[in-house]
Amino acid sequence: METVEREITVPAPPGEVWPALTHSDQVSVWFGADVALDARPGGRGVFRWPDGTERHAVVEEVEPERKLSFRWLPFQRTAWGDVEPVPSTRVEITLDEVSEGTRVRVVEQSALDRRTTRIQSRASGGAFGPVLAAIDA
Amino acid sequence: MRADRTDAIFSALADPTRRQVIRALSEQGPSTATGLAANLPVTRQAVTKHLITLADAGLVTSTRRGREKLYQISPRPLTDAVSWMADLGARWDDRLAALRDHVLTPKRRR
Repeated sequence: METVEREITVPAPPGEVWPALTHSDQVSVWFGADVALDARPGGRGVFRWPDGTERHAVVEEVEPERKLSFRWLPFQRTAWGDVEPVPSTRVEITLDEVSEGTRVRVVEQSALDRRTTRIQSRASGGAFGPVLAAIDA
Repeated sequence: MRADRTDAIFSALADPTRRQVIRALSEQGPSTATGLAANLPVTRQAVTKHLITLADAGLVTSTRRGREKLYQISPRPLTDAVSWMADLGARWDDRLAALRDHVLTPKRRR
């Protein structure tokens, strides 16, 4: 399936960025959800969004100041207690020390198919051109 | 869109030949398996198999025409799949900007 890749450069060393990825109280500040994360391989992550939605994740790789990856479990619980299926995706966050600070790169892709076809926003031609270009990129 | 649906769509689209089939359908308009196979480097039987997978994922629909089926693209799931990906990208853009702001916030104010 297609892959989402995003990155940002933070003007701080990896040693200052890493705790923001692994300490629950800090992740909760920027993630958009209340996070309880056990940042060890096999550890659980519980994410609760303001609308009451809850998702769970399992931590896969932990390389301090370098890499954190986790897999979303393929369901979410709504505020009303319903359990719904969601796409099974895997998130990999890597830190690279660069001259400006730390480059933080996120790759989220299907846990079913790790092929790295990329989504693109540009496209051309035909009624389904933009859609196909995005998928075929 | 429903997420189990998204998985079915993405796994249908993960195959390059199926993407070629979709592309050919997009270019030729509604077509039979025979009509599609004429322009693809695969047999009619293989095209038919791929069309069935695509139909199961809701990406194409078919109507009977004589002894063959006429297939056409069902645009909604394709558009939904792309917009789901776009939403995911936008969420990470927001999160990474917030992560940067958080790291740069003086510790005493955290």
